[in-house]
Amino acid sequence: VITLNHYLVLGAALFCIGLYGAMTSRSALRVVICVELILNSVNLNLAAFSAYVAPKQAVGMNFVIFLMVVAAAEVGLALAIIITLNRTGDINAIDSFKRLRG
Amino acid sequence: MTIVFFYLYAVMALAGALGLVMARNLIHAVMSLLATLVAIAALFLLLGSQFLAAMQLFVYGGAITVLVLFVLMLTGPQPEAGGRSKESIRLLSVGLCVVFFGAITWIIAQANWQVTVPQLHDTASIATILFSRYVLPFEIAGLSLTIALIGAVVLAREDDVMDAPMPEPLPEDPAPSPELADEAGEPA
Repeated sequence: VITLNHYLVLGAALFCIGLYGAMTSRSALRVVICVELILNSVNLNLAAFSAYVAPKQAVGMNFVIFLMVVAAAEVGLALAIIITLNRTGDINAIDSFKRLRG
Repeated sequence: MTIVFFYLYAVMALAGALGLVMARNLIHAVMSLLATLVAIAALFLLLGSQFLAAMQLFVYGGAITVLVLFVLMLTGPQPEAGGRSKESIRLLSVGLCVVFFGAITWIIAQANWQVTVPQLHDTASIATILFSRYVLPFEIAGLSLTIALIGAVVLAREDDVMDAPMPEPLPEDPAPSPELADEAGEPA
């Protein structure tokens, strides 16, 4: 029988793989898609909690929908920033960008 | 029977995630991400939410993957798969992530949730809550999405269209070599 813990451990594993990718990648695009992976693992956790802990109400499922909206906004903005950075520098060396530092 | 499918999709999701991190070619990385997203959509189905599975496929599998691929093509060739970080940084990151994963797993093992049997969430039950209790966050989410996408359009515009002065080029920028400038000047 699948328990809640199965989903939580899977979500944690996906989160950590995404975290590793976001920390070590020097390509701006790969950082963005690793962040997408992190958000997806959180989505999985929320849906699992919703299904197992409070199946009567679909509250966690609503959170997943909100997270998808936030992720779509985030990826849109991030890709726009990447296109802008691509005009002036090398987006494959994201650790050398300092211009967003304010 | 479900446990077989759970492990099938879990392995698929993990393999896709590892491929995303390991792949040298960024297009392969995006395709690996697609495998993970589809596997997570299948896991949503196992959790009994058909609506979320469909949304996962539409929004992530469709829109976001195509958007990332589109930008990948727009920004030109990606030499050396975006480069690799220094060995020390990678080792440190692996250690940090393993410790973090261990900590989360330990907490999950310790926790004692009041677990019940999962049941099918039909779309109506999601919509009932979304449009009653969470109607204000729903509106705010729509507004923030609109603002973010308008901001994305403004950011991605060509610089010479904008009134703002051009930003200074980065010091790392390779200056145009004098030979190239001479060659360009010769025919004139």
